[in-house]
Amino acid sequence: MPALNKLYQQYKEQVAFYVVYIEEAHPTDGWQMPNNIKDHVLVASPHTLEDRNEAAHACVVKLGIHIPALVDDMQDSAERAYTGWPDRLYVIDRSGRVAYKSKAGPFGFHPDEMAQALAKLVPPANPVKQTH
Amino acid sequence: MRKTLVYAVPVVVVYGILVGGLFAAMLQPPAKFGRIMSRLPSVTFFLFPFEPMWLMARKGNLKVGDMAPDLALKTADRSAEVSLSSFRGRQPVALVFGSHT
Repeated sequence: MPALNKLYQQYKEQVAFYVVYIEEAHPTDGWQMPNNIKDHVLVASPHTLEDRNEAAHACVVKLGIHIPALVDDMQDSAERAYTGWPDRLYVIDRSGRVAYKSKAGPFGFHPDEMAQALAKLVPPANPVKQTH
Repeated sequence: MRKTLVYAVPVVVVYGILVGGLFAAMLQPPAKFGRIMSRLPSVTFFLFPFEPMWLMARKGNLKVGDMAPDLALKTADRSAEVSLSSFRGRQPVALVFGSHT
């Protein structure tokens, strides 16, 4: 998440940056993960849109996400259209075409690849000063 | 030699069936796949080439260069509805799909 927050800070003036909160990957009522139990990350699958909104809000706060969050609908339209589960990154260019699509997470989730795709589309507004 | 085959062939066949079954599970909707995985022992990860199978099963239909499907979603604080198509011709969009867990 720090890497994505940093990208957001860098590009937020020129790029519409969003987190899309989709169905939980490892909810307590589904495929629970031992490390989540250890870390007390216990989230049940939201069954109503209201629950999902609340879960999205809690997720953003707990994970310290600065990127604005959108919430998928209960038909999982966004997840299905973009094969987003459990996590995935996309960059869409100005003409509305897919410029970068990561491989499926968790294995394919690489913010550095997204950074490269963004750098190709826009010159950074706040370039990191390099010392030589 | 023949004795080895007698044991090896069934093992290979059973392994093939299990790989096929796991791949079929990966093609299910996420919630269903999650329910199936929650019942399988964690040795599943080591016994099968989970990562390449997962990347193949979750490839999706969208390709680089395709028009991005429109989404109209509410923000988490419900203050606004954002439509992806509204950025067309104006600015690029970066999307981070994910959940808490």
